[in-house]
Amino acid sequence: MGYVAVTAGEELIERAEELFEKQRVDGNDEAIDVEQLDGQLGRLTAQAMGEGGLYAPQLAALAVKQAQGDTVEAAFLLRAYRSTLERFDETVTVDPGEIIASRRVSPAFKDVPGGQILGATKDYTQRLLDFDLIDGASEDPTEAWDVTEEGDPDRLRNVTELLRTEGLLSDPDEPDVDEPTDTTRESVTHPAGRDEVLQELARGETGAVTALGYSALRGYGQVHPTLAEVRVGDLPVRIEHPYTGDEVTVTHTNVTESEAVVPVYEKREDPQFAFGYGLTFGRNERKAIGMTVLDASIQLDSESDPAENAEFVLDTIDGMDSFGFIEHLKLPHYVTFQSILDRIRSIRDREGLSEDARAESDERAPRPTVTEAGDDD
Amino acid sequence: MTERTTTAEESPDGGTPVATDSVDAALESLDDDGLAGYNYAYLDEHTKREIRRSMLKAVAIPGHQVPYASRPMPLARGWGTGGIQASLSLLGPEETFKVIDQGADESVNAANIRRLAENTADVTTTVDTTEADLIQSRHRIPEEVLTDDQRLVLQVPITDALRNVDPSDTANRRRHAHRNYGKMWVHLYENVVEYGEIQIASRYPTMVAGRYLMDPSPIPRWDVPKLDDADHLTVLAAGREARLYAVPPHTEVEPLAFEDRAFTVERFPEQACHACGSTDTYLVEISENATGDGEGAFETRYACNDSSFCEKRRENPDLPKDHHLDREGVDWGPATPDSAERGDRR
Repeated sequence: MGYVAVTAGEELIERAEELFEKQRVDGNDEAIDVEQLDGQLGRLTAQAMGEGGLYAPQLAALAVKQAQGDTVEAAFLLRAYRSTLERFDETVTVDPGEIIASRRVSPAFKDVPGGQILGATKDYTQRLLDFDLIDGASEDPTEAWDVTEEGDPDRLRNVTELLRTEGLLSDPDEPDVDEPTDTTRESVTHPAGRDEVLQELARGETGAVTALGYSALRGYGQVHPTLAEVRVGDLPVRIEHPYTGDEVTVTHTNVTESEAVVPVYEKREDPQFAFGYGLTFGRNERKAIGMTVLDASIQLDSESDPAENAEFVLDTIDGMDSFGFIEHLKLPHYVTFQSILDRIRSIRDREGLSEDARAESDERAPRPTVTEAGDDD
Repeated sequence: MTERTTTAEESPDGGTPVATDSVDAALESLDDDGLAGYNYAYLDEHTKREIRRSMLKAVAIPGHQVPYASRPMPLARGWGTGGIQASLSLLGPEETFKVIDQGADESVNAANIRRLAENTADVTTTVDTTEADLIQSRHRIPEEVLTDDQRLVLQVPITDALRNVDPSDTANRRRHAHRNYGKMWVHLYENVVEYGEIQIASRYPTMVAGRYLMDPSPIPRWDVPKLDDADHLTVLAAGREARLYAVPPHTEVEPLAFEDRAFTVERFPEQACHACGSTDTYLVEISENATGDGEGAFETRYACNDSSFCEKRRENPDLPKDHHLDREGVDWGPATPDSAERGDRR
């Protein structure tokens, strides 16, 4: 029918989907197993779970596989799936001090109660391509380690707790709501409460959180924090048993947590450090620290720098929102474009700049500026 | 997933352990086979009710942006997720649904939205504007007159007309509360000073019922007068920004303009649709390779943007836009009988 740049319908969509699927199988004899994805590319699944706001490693691995490694797309699949699930219960609030840490570093103090746990990290490895990995047969390099079972670890005392005991660190404000708002069920309006800010940051796109957090450090902001600690480990998920009312642990989630003190004095008469907090599903230290910087920046509640403006940060940090709107520019825009053409031609006519008028007005000096495109759908 | 088989002896976290097979069984019960496992019209009933309540509020306060909990949909945000949530909340299995994207039913994005509604809400679909109970549209109001038993859902990318003069939602909400649109008036005035006329193309700032300034979504200026005193209900829904607003039937809708700088619609001087010959419809231009004028030469032709009405006009070039109504001369935007008279009034 007629002149439509993209005349299509369902068959075209299906063909396009099939071509996309073909890219998955091109040159691959063996499909990647979702177990392999979760195991060997755990950073990808962690990122998808964090941004998707759904802790489900197997589903995340499936989403990463389906999205051909695009983490935002994978997070999107998880969110769309999550939104169809019934929310039948809420967990008991968990104390992050209960974390079973596999890694814990405190840049603030050389020694901290519970000690520094370097754990698994590539922080100090040299970034050289390891060509041995091309042929893949990995061995477990820790196989020969002599490890003795020492029983359950002690509860780790938060470094920020130490500072609070001494009165050096301001206490967080008491929340003014009993139950935190669930921003997936109730849209954010500004000014947003800290419960909303933290949720949105925790689901923020890793790259956006890193970039905006970095902007504060780079000079567009006042926050240059000292990390009290960064921890990676497992937190229990507890619910109240529906019959007995007892708290039961149903599973654990792997999380990265970061806490920072910020040398901005909260009160003049009683100088105390401000603080920032970050927590994300899975192993994603960069995002947790970026979130910490942003939480601290937003608490300053200024509008002088982007990272300190809650509205700016929350409006731009969500991967689903930014990805969708950026990519929607690919959709046809000929109605609006026709409308824009009408405006610029009309204005050029008025200025005697249209093709017909130009011949007569060659001597006329051109205007220095051109109109901004007035439309942004 | 790391399987955790916690037993009573080794429960470091104090809780009472639960056997993992019951968790697996619970997870298995969630298994489903594709869309058959989803609720009618994809969204669960509570969500749809919540969206309808927001719509009722929007109807009660014409032009006011009502926040609602926009759910993640299986379409990308910015691609009609607000529109589809509004549509799915309104549709019932008896209804006929039409989806258009930039005037065309055949556009891939329209086809994609239509198939989601077909698959999940089991509705009949149509391309004929007059047959539809509900029309979801990206940035056009159809050329044929909408009636009081039809509803129009417009997809909205940016919910606030004031966003052009201030990016802050907080500040703009305050302006709406105080009906303080001075900054927009200044913007329009500066336009006139700089360019001699208002250079806003689409998303034209429009007063609704004399109270709220509304972003009518990026419909062309051509379509804005159709909202004024319309017979149908228009719901404008944004998924990414999680706001919806409405223009109820017979509401006054007036684009901002000055006494000496009237609101104007797009002009198509001396042009007609090359296919059906219409001169009273919104046209878009098409550049084509010219035949015989050598390499690189192109020619521009105009075509109706509303492809469904163009098809009808090709059969019957004199078909009026209100052909399906039992009265004639219905006012429906530019180039319809009453619009000239109303234009004078403005």
